[in-house]
Amino acid sequence: MKKRILSLILASAMVCSLAGCGSKETGNSADHSVELNVTTTFAGEDGNAQNFKTAVDEWCKQTGNTVADTSATSDETFKTRVITDFETGSEPDVLFFFNGADANSFIEAGKVVSIDDIRAEFPDYAANMNDDLIADSLVDGKKYAVPVNGYWEAMFVNTEVLDAAGVTLPGAGYTWDQFKEDCQKIKDAGYAPIACALGNIPHYWWEFSIFNHTSPETHLNIPESVDSAQGAAWVAGMEDIKELYEAGFFPENTLSATDDETFAMFTEGKAAFLIDGSWKVGGIVNACQSDPEDPSTLDTDKLAKFDVTYVPGQGDRKATDLIGGLSMGYYITTKAWEDPDKKAAAVSFISYMTSDDIVPVFAQHTASALKNAPEVDESAFNPLQVKAMEMMSGVTSLTGAVQDVFQGDCRVSTFDGMPEIVTGRVSAEEAVAEGLDAYHAQ
Amino acid sequence: MGASIYKNKKPLLVFLLPAFLFMAVYLYYPFFKNIINSFQQIKMLGQVEAQWNDPWYTNYVELVHDPVVLISLKNTLIMMLVTIVGQVGIALILALLVDNIRMGAKFFRTVFFFPIVISATALGLLFNLIFLYDKGMLNQILESLGKTTLTDWKSEGIALVTMMLPVMWQYVGFYFVIMITGLNNISEELYESASIDGATRFQRVRYISLPLLHNVLCTCVVLAVTGALKVFDLPWTMFPKGMPMKTTFLTGTYMYYQTMEAKNVDYGSTLAIMLVILGIITSKVVHMIFKEKDY
Amino acid sequence: MKKKRVSISSIIIYILLIFWALTTIYPIVWVIQNSFKAKDKILADSFSIPTGELFTLANYRKAFNNLNILGAYKNSIFISTLVALLVVILAGMASFALVRYSFKLKKTLQSLVMAGMMFPVFATVIPVFSMEARWGIVNTSNWWLTMLSVILPQVAGNLSFAIVVLTGFIKGLPVELEEAAFMEGCNAFQIFFKVIVPITKPSFATVAIFSFLWSYNDLFTQMFYLRRPEMQGITVLLNRLTSQEGTNYGLMAAAVTLVVVPVVIVYIFLQKYIIKGMTAGAIKG
Repeated sequence: MKKRILSLILASAMVCSLAGCGSKETGNSADHSVELNVTTTFAGEDGNAQNFKTAVDEWCKQTGNTVADTSATSDETFKTRVITDFETGSEPDVLFFFNGADANSFIEAGKVVSIDDIRAEFPDYAANMNDDLIADSLVDGKKYAVPVNGYWEAMFVNTEVLDAAGVTLPGAGYTWDQFKEDCQKIKDAGYAPIACALGNIPHYWWEFSIFNHTSPETHLNIPESVDSAQGAAWVAGMEDIKELYEAGFFPENTLSATDDETFAMFTEGKAAFLIDGSWKVGGIVNACQSDPEDPSTLDTDKLAKFDVTYVPGQGDRKATDLIGGLSMGYYITTKAWEDPDKKAAAVSFISYMTSDDIVPVFAQHTASALKNAPEVDESAFNPLQVKAMEMMSGVTSLTGAVQDVFQGDCRVSTFDGMPEIVTGRVSAEEAVAEGLDAYHAQ
Repeated sequence: MGASIYKNKKPLLVFLLPAFLFMAVYLYYPFFKNIINSFQQIKMLGQVEAQWNDPWYTNYVELVHDPVVLISLKNTLIMMLVTIVGQVGIALILALLVDNIRMGAKFFRTVFFFPIVISATALGLLFNLIFLYDKGMLNQILESLGKTTLTDWKSEGIALVTMMLPVMWQYVGFYFVIMITGLNNISEELYESASIDGATRFQRVRYISLPLLHNVLCTCVVLAVTGALKVFDLPWTMFPKGMPMKTTFLTGTYMYYQTMEAKNVDYGSTLAIMLVILGIITSKVVHMIFKEKDY
Repeated sequence: MKKKRVSISSIIIYILLIFWALTTIYPIVWVIQNSFKAKDKILADSFSIPTGELFTLANYRKAFNNLNILGAYKNSIFISTLVALLVVILAGMASFALVRYSFKLKKTLQSLVMAGMMFPVFATVIPVFSMEARWGIVNTSNWWLTMLSVILPQVAGNLSFAIVVLTGFIKGLPVELEEAAFMEGCNAFQIFFKVIVPITKPSFATVAIFSFLWSYNDLFTQMFYLRRPEMQGITVLLNRLTSQEGTNYGLMAAAVTLVVVPVVIVYIFLQKYIIKGMTAGAIKG
């Protein structure tokens, strides 16, 4: 009897020590809890902050690991913080971050692991994603970040203003000339046609005005010089904005107002059109809801007045060619990859966060890179989200924003300098040329 | 000052070393890096490896030729005058008044402090709503007085006034607290003996409070002038990016703009150096003027 | 006759003071009243009192449900109190030496202090962060180290201002008191702690208030150093809550109210040291 007990103890001790060894080697044992340091932008009032929290808790419960969540809302301080963390070696294990020029510095320094390298050891990593939709790094053309939710930019419409001005809701074939006619009618009816603070956030008009003189194939090319064909397209785009400004289609105080102010004009029924990103769907719904916590306070009549449609096109760009894509994704840092304890946990975390079940929760009406996008249940969405999904189903192409490549001080002359361009103090050529010079000097 | 007690210099090191060691490690050393940055090409805050500018003084040439630097200097100069007259002046009057009353002094001391407690973002929002084009408090009031058109308080002609008034108002409380402290350092016995000699309230202020406040007043003016050079948060919340048309930039907001928004970090460092030099010069000038004055 | 003249001037004084008080009280009232309104009502109706339909607790509910407000208060108050204490002690000693001693490097040191006041935090934050990263005190799971990592740069940032202000105050002190203490056999340290500190208590309290306030409201530094939600101060936490959507003014007003309350309490508490009569008492003692 005694002997038997002893051997049992021995056997279990051996199992234990084996498991102990095993966990050292693979870091994947269930009884060995790992703390993963994760930084994302799903924080604050980000629409997915709560989804992220729920998903993290669920993953921790399933795996027994813990997560130190150092997420923050995405702004300039956040970007600086992430870059500095990489420089000083205090980067997180898993990072959800931009895949454009913002990521260049730490990719150049080899501080994150490419998807191919991960697949060499974990063949199923991101296997449910369509690789063609995962952005290539601007540094070496490799793929690093596994995307979750995408974005699009389109034109929101306040139909109450359109009705008052006798303008019909624009659709897929909307042209630039029709748009200008409609703007004139709206202006004559006493409303501001376009809600935009040119002195504050001209970004979306900048992007689409240039897009209107390029095409989905060529839009992402940065002009060699202002004299090239592409450069002329950029200048023509700036001239278009100037024309709209001179026609008085922007609010009277567009040069001194903030974006919040012009957005309020739009939601309060004083302006008709608003070009903005997919995240504004939530903003508009929020503007129609007095208690952000309580969906029952949603003013459905007010929300019904809003719609979202395509951006008027000209030349090679159809109205249904929109700006959008997947601009962010999950990275595994080299630091975590080389840590035997954390390697498998990091892979498991991202695999969970980018699974077929979780991605649709985050992506909603925006794009995702899933191979087999599951059917969405429309009843779970509010009317504007449904309209957005319908709009998205008619999109003919989604192109990345050229301003994501054209970053840093080269933007200054045409973004912050927009008021000078539209008032004619600086010519569009000069401003574009100045920006391109700064770009090519980098 | 020449008292024999301070002839022995040994304790000096103990008094000075901790504070200056702290500043050396956390301010002077990092700022030295900032000076190096101003000769480099840095496109992102946090970037460590950088190329040298060619020629190395490129940023300083740009500094001289940048029209916005001129605008910001001009605005800052106006701001300095506004802070000296508006902030220090009003604060001095308020402090002397509060010092001369018995009832409610504590109440006023507390409420005058409020504006500095509220964050600039919140104050910026408040003033934005007051000056809002469609229809802030001011435009509503004007409308009820029969004005039919809306005034754009942030348009080019008037933007500076709209920006400086709130900044001036916000920091009055700050100087007020410093001056009330200075007044409290003055011995009550001085006032009492003056009263016995038959001095009026005004004479007490003129011949006791003001002269003894001289050093504190000098400190306040130095703080006001250098404060105007680096003031940032409230102007930035109300007029981001020097709106409209870059006409409302101050040296502090322009430095922030170049570093954080325009991503021209090396040029931002150059502006920071200009700021520091101007700060030292203006404070020396203030000290010089104040030494000559005699109450 | 004389009495009447005095009372008229008193009335004018009170009118002036009350006028200014109104301009400083109203913003606080405005912030508090809007913190009880839903965000869509604020732009349209920000200057009315929230009653009936307009009144809601949603903003506070949201703040308290999503965040550990009490924990954040603890972090904030710990950081700012320590910063204020360190600043007052270090700056007090340095100012005393800068005023009373004459030595070769005095002018240089004074210029260095002025320069230190002008350094923008954006210019110094990156090198300081890298330095602390090398020491291994940033971004750790250790609460004490993390607190230290933000306290140290904030102390340095406030020292210059404190030295400038305290120098101004100490200059105004009559040197006779110190001479008397010297006669009684006190050395420089005893003079500082037994004569200077008691007399200038109001000045020290003032500097402590401002150091506390600036450390408490310093969003940029705290955001940069404090990453883990459980280690963040109240200002950062509430900023996180309100930053993504710049338009949620109701939530923002609630956040400001929650941030302001402790500072006002600290001010009222420290203010009792800034009262008249202290000087006279100290001289006799």
